Amino acid sequence: MGPLLPNGIIPTEWDSLIAILIGLVFGFILESSGFSSSRKLAGVFYGYDFAVLKVFFTAALVALIGMYYMDYLGYMDLAQLYVHPTYLWGAIIGGIIMGVGFVSAGFCPGTSLCALAIGKIDAFAYVGGALIGIFIFSELFTLFQPLYDGTFLGNVTLMDTFDINPYWFVFIFTLIAILIFVISDLIRKRTKKQVYN
Amino acid sequence: MKELEKTKRISIATTLFILIVIMALLAYKRPIHIYAVNTEHTLEKIVSKDYFVSLKEINNPDYVLIDVRSHFEFEKGHLENAVNIHTSEILLDNSKKVFDELKENGKTVVLYASNTNEASPTFLILYQLGYNNVKILNVENSYSNNQLITKSIDVEKSNADIKNFIAESVKKAKKVSKKNVKRPVATVKKAPKKIITVKKKKKAPAEGGC
Amino acid sequence: MVNRKLAKVSTFRYKILATVFIVLAGGLVLLPKHEKHEGIKPELLLANLISTERYISTDILADKIINNDPSFILIDVRNEESYSNFTIGDALNIPLEKFLDEVSINYLDQNQYDIIFISNDNFYAEQAWMLGSRLGFKNLHVLEGGINKWFNTIINPKKPTETMPEEQFVLYSNRKAASMFFGVAYPEQFKPAKKDKAIVKTKQPAPPKKVIKVKKKKKAPAEGGC
Repeated sequence: MGPLLPNGIIPTEWDSLIAILIGLVFGFILESSGFSSSRKLAGVFYGYDFAVLKVFFTAALVALIGMYYMDYLGYMDLAQLYVHPTYLWGAIIGGIIMGVGFVSAGFCPGTSLCALAIGKIDAFAYVGGALIGIFIFSELFTLFQPLYDGTFLGNVTLMDTFDINPYWFVFIFTLIAILIFVISDLIRKRTKKQVYN
Repeated sequence: MKELEKTKRISIATTLFILIVIMALLAYKRPIHIYAVNTEHTLEKIVSKDYFVSLKEINNPDYVLIDVRSHFEFEKGHLENAVNIHTSEILLDNSKKVFDELKENGKTVVLYASNTNEASPTFLILYQLGYNNVKILNVENSYSNNQLITKSIDVEKSNADIKNFIAESVKKAKKVSKKNVKRPVATVKKAPKKIITVKKKKKAPAEGGC
Repeated sequence: MVNRKLAKVSTFRYKILATVFIVLAGGLVLLPKHEKHEGIKPELLLANLISTERYISTDILADKIINNDPSFILIDVRNEESYSNFTIGDALNIPLEKFLDEVSINYLDQNQYDIIFISNDNFYAEQAWMLGSRLGFKNLHVLEGGINKWFNTIINPKKPTETMPEEQFVLYSNRKAASMFFGVAYPEQFKPAKKDKAIVKTKQPAPPKKVIKVKKKKKAPAEGGC
């Protein structure tokens, strides 16, 4: 049956509408779980709040396990899923830049828009900076292109690179995630509590 | 109290998640008929052409003849010891039982129909469902004076050399035309090349993000 | 009371959640694996098989070719040797052995054209049809009787005897005209000196080869990120 879009169960014309709906729900949940606060987000790096890590890791776990069950039961064909292509060096350098931005500003692009929506001033600065960055990147694209298109690995997943049974991978990934939750909780208990809103 | 409210949310979400998984598991029905052979292997089988049985070999005690024509045709006349299972009935429980039994007993199922062409799709379905003991009887059945006549035939034999036939006919016609009136044969017009592009349906990639 | 109990359970909430995850993920590992179902269900395949909708008669095909019908592709599934010797119209050659190659699939798996499989008789064409149908390809057809019937009906039609009904004569004259279109010449074409001029003039060689381009599947890169 699924995935719904590639199999034509939902016509492609609905793309934008679905995007808007998902975006609305996503933004609402981000805001209601307090992710529009840069202090909460930066807490991951200072060790006093691991909510972001827990939420996103749990979401990934639920999606992963759910999708594999749906695949197993024949509701969805995993082979048809879109896998984002990997450009190794582009991903590494982009990741570093984003990490630095994340620590120093306390936002990731998604949550910054969320914070912008509720009128936080630092979010305005953040989004403005992001737009300027996009502008510079676009203007100097020819300069960055070898990096951007370089070391293309194809649409690979971790299962492909390590060549292991996907079901075992899911199991091991779950264990690792839970281990990380436990460790993060230990760290949080050790660090001084921060009061913020 | 605030802590408690949060707990409710989490537990409700968890319960829902588990419920959905359980419901999906309960609603799941394992299909009765499952392909045991994928298309690649089927293609190999097709190309290997080792699934023909000729008329001479049918007295082999391991062979069980199955007539996949309609009941009507079967009543009119059939090969000795043949069992009638029409193509439309091969997936029914009864037929499945018959095929399973034959497979367990190590018998070879030999399918036949009015001609080899008709039996081949039935053979392919059975083969893809995992009955690798199925073969086709390479015969053609016709009636003459209400008697069933079974002949061996060759499949995919080219009966006529069409290229030569056309060339011959042109030659002949030319000869005749030379006798009558001398005249050039048809002017050959070349039509412009038609260009057809096959557009692939684009599978829209999903956009990701967090 | 209830609240207090709830509060007690809530202290274990993360542990409960963690166990649920481990159980579910472990279930994935332990569940019995079965072969993935490839293609459409056998029941549906059988239903398609019993229906005779897939057959296209030689007369209809001849009509389509003569009228330059753009809506179909002929695919010759015999080997290359037979193909180069003779094929109907502007058929493409996809020998059965190469049926599942990526290049072939690009031609076969599309919505735009009717695909008509041809071979010497139905045998190979039907097998190609079976494979394609199982994989869910659309608009697949089989030339009924194949090239042998094509020869008997279109290229070399039998003259009806006097006692046959009139329709047979109409059919015969149609088929004869078609055979002329496909390059067969008849002696009587040349006998009456001027009358047949028009017919002879319009006679064409085998229709031009269609050039069919298949676009490679391209995956547009999607931009994502948060």
